Amino acid sequence: MPRAAAPRLPRRRPDPFPYLLLLPALLLMAAVNLTPILQGFYMSLLKLNQFTLAQYLDAPFVGLDNYRRVLFDGASPLRAGLGLALRNTLLYTAVVSLSAIAIGLGMALLMNRDFPGRNLARTLLLLPWIVPSYVVGSLWGFMWQRDVGIINTVLVDWLHLLDERPFWLIGANSFWAIVIPTVWRTWPVLMLIFLAALQSIPEDPYEAATLDGVSRWQQFLHITLPLLKPVILIQLMFQIIDNIYSYNLVSMMFGNGAGYPGEWADLLMPLLTRQSFSYWLFGQGAAVSFVMMALMLVFVGLWLRAFRQQMSDTPHA
Amino acid sequence: MPKPSPRARALLDLLTWAIVGLSLLPIAWMLLSSLRNYSEIANGAQLGAGLDLRWQNYRELWIRVDFFGFFRNSLIICGLSTLLSTACAVCAAYALARLRFRGGNAFSLAITVTQVIPGMLFFLPLYMLYRQLGERYGLVLLDSMQGLVFLYVALFTPASIWIMRGFFVAIPRELEDAAIIDGCSRLGAFVRIVLPLSAPGIIATATFVFLLAWDELFFAWVLTSSAEVQTIPVGIRLFVSQFQHRYDLMMAAGAVSTLPVLLVFFAGQRYFVKGLAAGAVKG
Repeated sequence: MPRAAAPRLPRRRPDPFPYLLLLPALLLMAAVNLTPILQGFYMSLLKLNQFTLAQYLDAPFVGLDNYRRVLFDGASPLRAGLGLALRNTLLYTAVVSLSAIAIGLGMALLMNRDFPGRNLARTLLLLPWIVPSYVVGSLWGFMWQRDVGIINTVLVDWLHLLDERPFWLIGANSFWAIVIPTVWRTWPVLMLIFLAALQSIPEDPYEAATLDGVSRWQQFLHITLPLLKPVILIQLMFQIIDNIYSYNLVSMMFGNGAGYPGEWADLLMPLLTRQSFSYWLFGQGAAVSFVMMALMLVFVGLWLRAFRQQMSDTPHA
Repeated sequence: MPKPSPRARALLDLLTWAIVGLSLLPIAWMLLSSLRNYSEIANGAQLGAGLDLRWQNYRELWIRVDFFGFFRNSLIICGLSTLLSTACAVCAAYALARLRFRGGNAFSLAITVTQVIPGMLFFLPLYMLYRQLGERYGLVLLDSMQGLVFLYVALFTPASIWIMRGFFVAIPRELEDAAIIDGCSRLGAFVRIVLPLSAPGIIATATFVFLLAWDELFFAWVLTSSAEVQTIPVGIRLFVSQFQHRYDLMMAAGAVSTLPVLLVFFAGQRYFVKGLAAGAVKG
């Protein structure tokens, strides 16, 4: 039978090759994502503290009591700071995400022209993004120092913008002390992504609009922005996810992280680790993690439902 | 677009470069401070006369803190994680990009979900899991390099699969089909045809994983406790509590720990920026 000449027919028996290729990734994801999700949910139903931790499978089962405590019980140490941390995290996420996208977009428009040293400028701009975030935390923690920090020197001694040297790492100012470095580090990479999107837009609509006497601002509003919308929406979603779980910057900027960064700079992840390990409230910590996870899934679900159509027609998908 | 006047163009060029320069100032300040005298910084002398630059701080990092021990640990852990994660991602991404099989969509969905719920939320169960495996089965994962490497590979593989998949999709399928008709096996075509062509993608993915691993502080802090395995971020953080006001040393440590990512970035830059621009990498 001339088998070699026959066209290849789809096999009935499933081919093991794709499954073999997937196996390593699948095992890893099962070990580090799936197992902890299930185990974490079980932990959130147990009374886990320093006394029951060693034999944690035998810890008393308390049902949803941990959830009740972290959500409603004022006597729980974890509950105590949760409200503030939640407020700070939501504000921080909103301010950082929106301003990084706005600045990134503005700079992408500025960089989308021919100018001397364009490629060099792009490479240099990515440097703040390359500097590890824990280094950004300790660097800005130094720059924000009241007496020896360069920021007060510039603002007070050189530019005379302020009469007194403000504290940047204490009080409401500390909110801006964590927002500004995050934006500084984030906008360049957004600029690069928007720049790529801008370059995929054809010239014709602009030429036609110019002939019709449409102003540049109107062209931006009615041509550029709608075409960039899918990219902006995707990046905004990633920004929100990333910033809600922000940890490195705060923990490096405010000393060794076991300390309290203050009522304006305490974010959810630093609070969660600090409180979990200082009071050994692992059951309640797991409950907080689960609430956060559920909220994030709901958020992303709603987001995709609202914008899926617009996000799927990305110009460079 | 309407062409602006030469004058306006020159102004815009100037503005652009001014912003570039301004955004680089903090990095310049880090480098400058790392070379400055401790007492000068502590006295609040900013850039007065008698700027005394020296390399002393970098030597002191070596002698007083054994910072280079942390550096070595970071290199080993991040290097191994990069190799293993990229290898896993290449295999899985090829399957997703090219082969049709049952469960492929479910796997893609699982990858998306891991991107949406960061592994950070699982630190308590993971900590307990590592503890239990050590106490019951003698599997040393807590406070060990293998524990961190295993975790990093698992954490960074889903995103790597996504980047790699984009590169595989861009390679024309006809090349493989031709090789298979010529008598190559599926695996043979993958190894001989597809892998060499996807080298830029592999470099981009590896660069991406290395940058992420190098920046990881959270799990390294929670899961390690001895200096033999702790990475640079943990080292710097311990160091902050010990040498609270030695900003000179801290800035030197920052400069030293930025160097490897900078080198890796510049080595893989061409491919990496392309991957980034393709929207595959999240910012």
